[in-house]
Amino acid sequence: MAEYWGVKVEDIFNTMKERFRPEGAKDVDAVFGYDIADEGKWRLTVTNNTMLLEKTDTLAGCVSTMSADGETFVGVNTGKVDATNAFMSGKFKVEGDMGAFGKTGKLFRKFVIPKKEMTTKEYLADMFATIVPRFKAKEAEGLEASFGFDLGGPDGGKWTVFIKDKVCTVTTSIEGKPTVTLEFNDAKDYVDFILGKIDAQSILAAGKASAKGDINMMASKWPILFEKYKDPMAGAVQEQELLVLKKTISLNEKFSTGPIMGKFLKGLKDKKIFANKCPECGRLQLPPREVCAECRVRAGEMVEVGPKGEVRYMDIVYYAMPDPLTGVARETPYGSIFILFDGCKGNETLPHFIRKDQIEKIQMGWNEKKGTRVRPVWEENRIGDIWDIQYFEIDE
Amino acid sequence: MGKRLAVCAVAQIKNHPDYHYLRFQNMLLECFESIMEQTKVTFDMEKGIRTIISCSDDMFDARTISDNGVTDVMGAHFRGEEKMAQESINGLGYAMACILSGHDDVILFMGHCKESQGESRRMISNLAYDPFYCRPLGMDYHNVDAMQARAYMEKSNVTDEHLAKIVVRSRANGKKNPYGRENKIVSEKDVLNSPMYSDPLREMHIYPVTDWAYGMLLCCEERAKEFTKNPVWITGYGSCMDRYFLGDKDFTSNFSLKNAAKRAYKMAGIKDPKKDIQVFELSDHAAYQLPMWAEGVGIAEEGRGGRWIDDGGMDKFNVNLSGGQLNGNPLLLGGAARAIECYYQLSKQAGERQIKGAKRAVAQAATGGAGQHQAVIVMEA
Repeated sequence: MAEYWGVKVEDIFNTMKERFRPEGAKDVDAVFGYDIADEGKWRLTVTNNTMLLEKTDTLAGCVSTMSADGETFVGVNTGKVDATNAFMSGKFKVEGDMGAFGKTGKLFRKFVIPKKEMTTKEYLADMFATIVPRFKAKEAEGLEASFGFDLGGPDGGKWTVFIKDKVCTVTTSIEGKPTVTLEFNDAKDYVDFILGKIDAQSILAAGKASAKGDINMMASKWPILFEKYKDPMAGAVQEQELLVLKKTISLNEKFSTGPIMGKFLKGLKDKKIFANKCPECGRLQLPPREVCAECRVRAGEMVEVGPKGEVRYMDIVYYAMPDPLTGVARETPYGSIFILFDGCKGNETLPHFIRKDQIEKIQMGWNEKKGTRVRPVWEENRIGDIWDIQYFEIDE
Repeated sequence: MGKRLAVCAVAQIKNHPDYHYLRFQNMLLECFESIMEQTKVTFDMEKGIRTIISCSDDMFDARTISDNGVTDVMGAHFRGEEKMAQESINGLGYAMACILSGHDDVILFMGHCKESQGESRRMISNLAYDPFYCRPLGMDYHNVDAMQARAYMEKSNVTDEHLAKIVVRSRANGKKNPYGRENKIVSEKDVLNSPMYSDPLREMHIYPVTDWAYGMLLCCEERAKEFTKNPVWITGYGSCMDRYFLGDKDFTSNFSLKNAAKRAYKMAGIKDPKKDIQVFELSDHAAYQLPMWAEGVGIAEEGRGGRWIDDGGMDKFNVNLSGGQLNGNPLLLGGAARAIECYYQLSKQAGERQIKGAKRAVAQAATGGAGQHQAVIVMEA
């Protein structure tokens, strides 16, 4: 099993049960499938605020199935890969009911990459690698000494720490006759001793360690010469889930339309599109506004334009935000267009949508180049708002 | 005395409970056209308006960058435009900095707020507090003000009867202000019987929901005569932000107002506000704030607000002849309303409310619950 950021695909699945949030499963009653390339298939059944996860051969009958390669799956679950990008680039796919799959986001607490423990070998490497940085030169005035370490067992090794002219050096062997040499039968005991897990007396009494030479140098001088070793794992508790307060802020509003926007909206009710005309420069504005912003004068004259026109600017939206007024996700893809109505010129354009099945067929105009001709499709029951026009379609 | 800022003209629409037939753009446009008409100022890049300062609030407008919705009706297209998202009085301070530093010499200053648009202004002021702790406790400007009211009233011997007197007077004065919100004239008994909102604040103690917009043309001293024969001068400005977390604060200390006033007085060369200033406009979002801010600006003795009302302090010092914020101005715009009233008084255009020989006036305004941020300006004829 491959590891990504130190995490296997199975780690994500194996922790699902402990990460499960019954409060997030209140309105979920469904079977979800996970198909991870080269790793296997899993089936997640959620019902009555409980979950069941099984490794499986077939994902038939799942309401929705997500598929990804192992790296993407682990990356998205650990936050190392941006989910939106993965989804947009097709590395992370969902088949079946997309809306239902969206609910799985609430089912589990976030996966947290567990911190690994350090091995004896890693500790020893770290302890001796930090000796020079921990050395306090000013305490070594006039001192010349060497400290030998002979640590046995499978992870053990030999080191000598030299101090001379206020300089500290470390070698990975025992050289000459150190001023004092510390011998441990098992290097693991040395690590535990330095970490404060066992005390020197009991190790010495048990015959697991001994010191040769100037013992006082080791017992009294060493603690002054070196800053205490700091355990890099100390305080490394399991990463905590950050508390987040989730709230929807909602405030009902009553937007007055005023006399100008009011007339425009009433026009839509009557299947008419109105622009307002500047009395000075003659420019049209759609939708109409109180003044001509460029001439700084009231522009109350309403001129009917269109309703047919040509496409000027356009784009095709694949990744849509939910409608802030309803919370409903917009269906994608949809085509946004700016229409230059008959009777308008230059940049006197108005935006709306194009009919879904015609997105690929429209062309935008640019300077002298004509865009696709379009016409509005009116709603049967019009109330004086933007959706009195359902969308525009090609005028053939 | 240092350099000063000229107020060449002011414009406003009438304070109204609900302009349901207007967008706030329509409200501003009235003021914009009035300023153009009064001053004949242009948008010429050499001699006209190049900088517009606006004041509005995103939450009240229910849109982000609320100034962008109104740039066209303020003439701000293709010009410098910046928004004061704080009490409007600070827009005057900002304009003063802009002009006295020489950055620009003519500024159009406009503001709008439609308190009637949202379902509840209290829901909006609730959002001024942090989401984890104070919001869930339901804090908003009204009930936080009430907490200050109780503490202050105890300290300064202000009673329910005093507050009734303030409300009755505010509405009577507001009646004389042609742009004042039209409120019912009430008796002290009516006020004493009005429903309790957050004890000790009653419904009538709190300024009513109001829609309003204004405009002001400001310029440097040298150019004032191009736009008016009768400029009014802003000679001092000071502001101060108090502690944000209410638990850290002495609610009755007037800390930020005293600091703001001290700075404004120093700049304007005011030694004794009681003698040097003839008109005071204080932004009393709730009735208890009138005597409290009077203590803060130095016309009532500390801890003697109740006594000051009994001694006729409100009329003696010509406080809130416009009706004050209490008669109705929207949140954030109270400071501009106060300055506009001072302008009328100092340019002898205050009609029925006119004080003879008014030479200097003070406008004060606060933002936030319990008068957190305070600003004071000094104006002179």
